Amino acid sequence: MNPTSQNLLSISDLHVHYGKSHVLHGVDLHIGHNEVVSLLGRNGAGRSTTMKAVMGLVPPSAGSVQLAGRELTGLRPYRISRAGIGFVPEEREVFANLSVEENLRMGQQAPTDGATAWTVEQMFEFFPRLRERRNTGAGNLSGGEQQMLTLCRSLLGCPRVLLIDEPTEGLAPKIVAVVAEAIREIHRRGVSILLVEQKLTIALKVSSRVCVMGHGRIVFEGTPQALTDDANLMKEWLAV
Amino acid sequence: MEFLTVSLLNGVIYGLLLFMVSAGLTLIFGMMGVLNFAHASFYMVGAYLAYTLQKVVGFTTAVVLSTVLVGLLGVIVERFFLRRVHKHGHAHELLLTFGLTFIIAELIKLFYGNFSVEYRVPEFLNFAAFQVFSTDYPFYRLLMGVVSLLVFGLIYLLLTRTRVGIVVRAAIHRPQMAEALGHNVPLVFMAVFGIGAALAGLAGALAGAFYTTNPNMALELGVIVFVVVVVGGLGSMAGAMIASLLIGLISSFAVGVDLSLASLLGLLGAGDWAQQMGGLMTLKVSSVAATIPFALMLLILLIRPSGLMGEKG
Amino acid sequence: MKLTKILLAVLLLALLVLPAILPAAMVNAAIQMLIAALFACAFNLLCGQGGMLSFGHAAYFGVGSFATLHAMSALNGQGLLPTPLLPLIGAMGGFICGLCAGWFATKRAGVYFSMITLALAELLHSLAPHLNTLFGGEAGISSMRAPAWGLDFGDATQVYYLTLGWVVLSIALLYAFTLTPMGRLTFALRENGHRLQFLGYNVHRLRVLVFALSAMFAGIAGGLQALNLESANYVLFDMRFSAEVVLNTYIGGVNVFLGPVLGAALMTFFGNAASDLTQSWLLYQGLLFVLVMMFMPSGLAGLVLCWSAQIRRRGWLAIIPAAFSALLGAGVLSLAVVFLIETLQRVFSQDYQALLMTDQAWPAISLFGREWLPGALLTWATPLLLGVAGLLVLKLARHQWLRLLDDEPVVNAAALRPRVEGEQP
Repeated sequence: MNPTSQNLLSISDLHVHYGKSHVLHGVDLHIGHNEVVSLLGRNGAGRSTTMKAVMGLVPPSAGSVQLAGRELTGLRPYRISRAGIGFVPEEREVFANLSVEENLRMGQQAPTDGATAWTVEQMFEFFPRLRERRNTGAGNLSGGEQQMLTLCRSLLGCPRVLLIDEPTEGLAPKIVAVVAEAIREIHRRGVSILLVEQKLTIALKVSSRVCVMGHGRIVFEGTPQALTDDANLMKEWLAV
Repeated sequence: MEFLTVSLLNGVIYGLLLFMVSAGLTLIFGMMGVLNFAHASFYMVGAYLAYTLQKVVGFTTAVVLSTVLVGLLGVIVERFFLRRVHKHGHAHELLLTFGLTFIIAELIKLFYGNFSVEYRVPEFLNFAAFQVFSTDYPFYRLLMGVVSLLVFGLIYLLLTRTRVGIVVRAAIHRPQMAEALGHNVPLVFMAVFGIGAALAGLAGALAGAFYTTNPNMALELGVIVFVVVVVGGLGSMAGAMIASLLIGLISSFAVGVDLSLASLLGLLGAGDWAQQMGGLMTLKVSSVAATIPFALMLLILLIRPSGLMGEKG
Repeated sequence: MKLTKILLAVLLLALLVLPAILPAAMVNAAIQMLIAALFACAFNLLCGQGGMLSFGHAAYFGVGSFATLHAMSALNGQGLLPTPLLPLIGAMGGFICGLCAGWFATKRAGVYFSMITLALAELLHSLAPHLNTLFGGEAGISSMRAPAWGLDFGDATQVYYLTLGWVVLSIALLYAFTLTPMGRLTFALRENGHRLQFLGYNVHRLRVLVFALSAMFAGIAGGLQALNLESANYVLFDMRFSAEVVLNTYIGGVNVFLGPVLGAALMTFFGNAASDLTQSWLLYQGLLFVLVMMFMPSGLAGLVLCWSAQIRRRGWLAIIPAAFSALLGAGVLSLAVVFLIETLQRVFSQDYQALLMTDQAWPAISLFGREWLPGALLTWATPLLLGVAGLLVLKLARHQWLRLLDDEPVVNAAALRPRVEGEQP
């Protein structure tokens, strides 16, 4: 529990049901300004569900999600997005029937107060590959290129908090490094990030704080160092 | 030669008309996964509204007005009926549109009676455009074709060149992701539904004057439109265009072909025997012209269910 | 459970003595009811249990009808099949047809399946009038019931008992089927066909079999119709009949075995009774269907089950306020709707329109024993006020109903929504 009055994103006592199955049992999670927080845990712990609940893609059964004090629970996803939360899904979900450029345009939004502004040009500078492919159908991109695309697309919405779900999944090590660097750069420019990441080393490297989830609850919260120091915790909640 | 040309022209124009109705349907299906049974009813309502309004405001205004009104009807259907049953699944939505078709047809019968009404092409449009060999070719027919082409062009430009078009295309592909990027997808659904309905209404307002306007037109056209949409590929505009033209041409040509299996067998010398058999053997292509689209649809559904241009899955 | 068995026994008894109590015209209506009930039950095997929505089921009903008629003419009561056993031919016709059609149709699922069944039915409908030997062209074919087993089948009563026997037997068989392993598999088909495939079942073959069985019983219903009417023509393949069975089944409720039977019986009965009173019966049927789809997705049977569950929990007295309000509200609202539609129907009818003369007030129409002037405000205010009143009472009923449900465990309203089916409007 990090009760900073300056919390940017506050998730309090969040419950989610899939039908009768109680998946999230009161998740408490807070992200401050300009922080990168990693959400760790085994598959099935509820990390993706937490992100989807924040984004409104899955309805919370109880609890609250607030962005800079503004209540977002129960709103439709497009309102939550417009309030300043971006989402980069695990499945990437590029619009295969649109070109790279059209995908990027889909993500564009005007920045809200306190949000960092991004432009398409900046995206092309970050990833020249995307500029080369700007008129290609997004379905024809490689895995790594699609990940770049979806990251940039959500970034162009000028979010204050970016939710990133498993960005390095299925990518070659070289691309993983690029993604990690991109996350750091985004952070440097003032965007807070909630990161779900399976690769522990990456997560520990880029985050200022880590939270561990188990069975739909937060079971640990602290610095990356504190986590690595606690061998029991690592074994119980993170080892396969 | 004359038969060929006239059938070709008729087929293309009928196909274009079919496209106006099926374009909305395929877009709606691609976007919402709902095959809207009531779509053909929008066509019928367009015809009847234009017929009613024509007596008050003149033909052109009547057509425009009925298009807009049917669009509004579409919006109402989506917002207050479909959205309510969305959570129960696609089969449920299908059934609801089915029920709505029923109701609309009965309401039409209530207000206008069970038989066709005197909705005719207005005098100022009722002349021959040119001569095809020895017959006059009606200008109104050409008008219908031209309007359809204009509509197609407009939709194409809208979808490919405008930001709205990009949003619609994205929402068709992945509605949840589109919404997570800040787009009001529910509004987009409603608008697409409304525009699709308006197109059907426009087709009805135009075609009703030329062909017949009766309470059965929804069912008759509806089944053909389904065939078009399935053959073309659910969700694909290009597919809808191709399938519409294909079916338009087939229907047009088939009606004039008096061949049957017996005549075919006659070439092989078994003509008399076949004639004696009767039944399927002597069935003329022209008589079953109406069933050919179904046979085509069955074929497609079995060989390539996603349609000619549809995406897999 | 005990109560259900008692109710069924009472129902059966009532059906048995029916011809003794009711006049001949009603007996005919009862025969139609029974046939429709069987048809709906057969349809539900495919739709509700198997999860395959067929929009062309009238085809198999029709095939059964025609097959039986051919047998009637050919056998003339002699040979292997005396008249009472003729529906077996209908069964066979339906089964074979269902096997062929089902083999094609079940190759695809969901909306595509429905479209195939629709296309097949329409194909048959278009071809039938051209095939004179099979379907008698435009006029159709007819025959006569031949005497058998000492009965002459001349009057409605005997036909009624024959129909009743077959319908009860068929429905019992259909019910027994749901208890067999194959029947349970059918439910599994609906829930998760994919899973079944991974478990090693040949899902396509299963689907075809279910389709064929459903068509078989539809064929029996068709055969009974052929015996009853002694004729059939290609109109039987019309979309209207396929539509009707879909409407009846869903109004009754697809998730309860006897739901479609209930729906079909009610709709056919009211259809018969109302068709003398109103021209707009089909409109009412459509409205009822849409209302059920929107507010009572589990149909009338589901509604009954929901209420009886509450009765079991709280007792009869507890539900009386909600039940009373619901019935009152529904009644008043229905009255308002009927009033409005009947008024409109009369005003827009051809006869009335012919009476209209320019610059003169529109003449009065008679409804419910009174004269109403279309120009008068009262004529339109009455249904409007009744409608509003009805809606308000229904809102009250909903309040009372929700209070009855009160001590169900609730996490929050959002989680409650999808679970409560058959909720009162």
